[in-house]
Amino acid sequence: MVGTRGRGRRVAAAAAVLALVAAGCGGGADDGTVELRYAWWGNADRAELTQQAIDLFEEQHPNISVTPTFQEWDAYWQRLNTDAAGGGLPDVMHMDYMYLREYADRGLLLDLNEQVGENLDVSGTLDAFADVGTVDGARYAVPIGGNTFTMVYIPEEFEAAGVEVPEDGWTWDDYDAAIEQVSESSGEIYGGHDYGTLIWVLELQLRQEGGELFTEDGGLGVDAARLAEFWSHMQPLRDSGAIVPTSEAVEVQPLATIGAGLSASEFNWDNQLARFTGETDRELALAPVPTSDPDNLGQYLKPSMMYAAFSRTEHPAEAAMLIDFMTNSPEVAQIFGGSRGIPANTAQREGAEYNEVDQAILDYEDAIFDQLTVPPPAPPAGAGSLEGEFIRLGETVGLGEATPEEAAQEFIAYAEQTLGS
Amino acid sequence: MAERPPAKASPDRPARRRARPARAGREGAAGYLFLSPWILGIVLLTLGPMLASLYLSFTDYNLFDQPEWVGLDNYAAMFADERWRGSVRVTLVYVLLSVPAKLALALAVAMLLARRRRGEGFYRSAFYAPSLLGASVSLALVWRALFMQDGAVDRTLSSVGIELGGWVGNPDYALLVLVVLAIWQFGAPMVIFLAGLKEVPQELYEAADVDGAGRWRKFWSVTVPMISPVIFFNLLLETVNAFQVFTASYVVSNATGGPADSTLFYTLYLYFQGFTDFRMGYASAMAWMLVAGVGLVTLLLFRLSRAWVYYAGEDGR
Repeated sequence: MVGTRGRGRRVAAAAAVLALVAAGCGGGADDGTVELRYAWWGNADRAELTQQAIDLFEEQHPNISVTPTFQEWDAYWQRLNTDAAGGGLPDVMHMDYMYLREYADRGLLLDLNEQVGENLDVSGTLDAFADVGTVDGARYAVPIGGNTFTMVYIPEEFEAAGVEVPEDGWTWDDYDAAIEQVSESSGEIYGGHDYGTLIWVLELQLRQEGGELFTEDGGLGVDAARLAEFWSHMQPLRDSGAIVPTSEAVEVQPLATIGAGLSASEFNWDNQLARFTGETDRELALAPVPTSDPDNLGQYLKPSMMYAAFSRTEHPAEAAMLIDFMTNSPEVAQIFGGSRGIPANTAQREGAEYNEVDQAILDYEDAIFDQLTVPPPAPPAGAGSLEGEFIRLGETVGLGEATPEEAAQEFIAYAEQTLGS
Repeated sequence: MAERPPAKASPDRPARRRARPARAGREGAAGYLFLSPWILGIVLLTLGPMLASLYLSFTDYNLFDQPEWVGLDNYAAMFADERWRGSVRVTLVYVLLSVPAKLALALAVAMLLARRRRGEGFYRSAFYAPSLLGASVSLALVWRALFMQDGAVDRTLSSVGIELGGWVGNPDYALLVLVVLAIWQFGAPMVIFLAGLKEVPQELYEAADVDGAGRWRKFWSVTVPMISPVIFFNLLLETVNAFQVFTASYVVSNATGGPADSTLFYTLYLYFQGFTDFRMGYASAMAWMLVAGVGLVTLLLFRLSRAWVYYAGEDGR
């Protein structure tokens, strides 16, 4: 039999345990160390490099302890959005251009101008990137690296088909003819892929025509007719077997068609070369994208990722120090090489050690550097979810389940509902 | 109890009477203390969120801004949403195809395994194994590889002259891949059927033998009526589960519900609305619509069950 007193003590003990657990949730170091939470997107490889960089930072700042967390791209944004809704973001986080304005508008990001000159040096940022982290005059982000659009291709396949290696200034018609010829000559591999799923190719074409994907007042810079035309253009290529059928491309996901050995070329951001190289044994090279205007590639240097800090962080100075170290230290550049995009900081760009793939990307960017324009202003709030919807509708058209006109109407409606909401 | 006159009978009664309320109170408290993890769980993790989502379903809520009351707009919007209608259709087709086929297969295999034979245990385990794998990611990945262009299924069919190509990338067949996956995992209902079959009295079969009934006749007139409660139980469980399927499509379609929304299950679309587009109000309304829908189907099954579960012997069904 258990006496009342015994039971009372147990209840008290249980309560004490609960209290301890509750206290543990609160956390907090009282030995003077500042704890910074740092969140980023990527994979295990990048996690290892990131830890090296953090170790270096902690060595130089013994009073700061950094706790990193990471997720893959999709999961990262779900997590960050949920955290933001709960009112608590990490002190320092990676930010993407498509989400920058949304987060800035919601008052979630720290204006880093307060720290410039004290704990943060941004003087080394590439000229083209001078304003990319700025929204309405406030500096909400510092670029880490940059990339630009490209056509990744297998030179062997193009040579075997007798197609001249694409060079600066080729047109979309040249491109169509080239991939058709590669398909025809090879018989095994498709010359190109269905770029109807890539909103970035649409953006390029719009920019080559003098337009923009997003208007200045945050709307969509394309109408249903132009969008339908974009998707209709793929149909003859599909019919002639110049591009990978959508059904086959869908099946090999998440591999890219060039990585899966289905196509001899693929449009993407140039930093994706590292990924493709990991997916295939074939030798790959980078070529400029086709253009409808020889004087205007439509390409720009886009920030591949950026650093931002939480507006309500308890340690703005330390957060700025971490960002400063990560974006300026040549040692950090040596750790990452070009794996987060070719560094956006001149000292890091020159100080980094590049592997073969990074060097290829750097050479490509250098070759067209003069033709790259300043990035367009940060896309409007809500832009982040447009990319996925574009892929879905592009595939639906590719599978013949919707006409380009129907899909275009649907996308415009979706954009109207999403943008700025 | 309360009207009874107090303690007169045996000597120990009054004592017990006095003790009872206090003791019951203490024991009750102890009971609730032991229950507390579960109660906390259901209140904080199930009931609370459910009520919150019921409220959110009447609002426009994007996670960041304050929820804004919109009345029944979310519910009305569903019927105008073509993708929502599509997801309902895909889910219904999935339920209608997978549940009956799965139950039929489970019953057939259970009947084979119900007879005593050597290696009985091994066969039962072997047939149950796929269910243990459950809705695992790796399994869905293997499934995807099997049904791809030049995958095992495509090659087998091609070798006998059926050229369908890859199933995963074809909107007409992609859902079938998931249906086959569901049917293959028939272990759980099979085990329940096995238990049910063991309960059928042998005398009934012997009596049927005397009457000259064939196998088929015995199956329909003895087995089915006798295990009809078990069939009903399995049917209910599998139907409710099938409505809530998520992982299989999420993995096989590479988190898209594609190609062309052909595997966009209701739950998957709900997830996209909530966590990709951050339309939490709409997603909440969708969740409650699913609760209502599944509730309605369950009710219907119960109503129909009166016709075949208890009185089944009479008309041979």
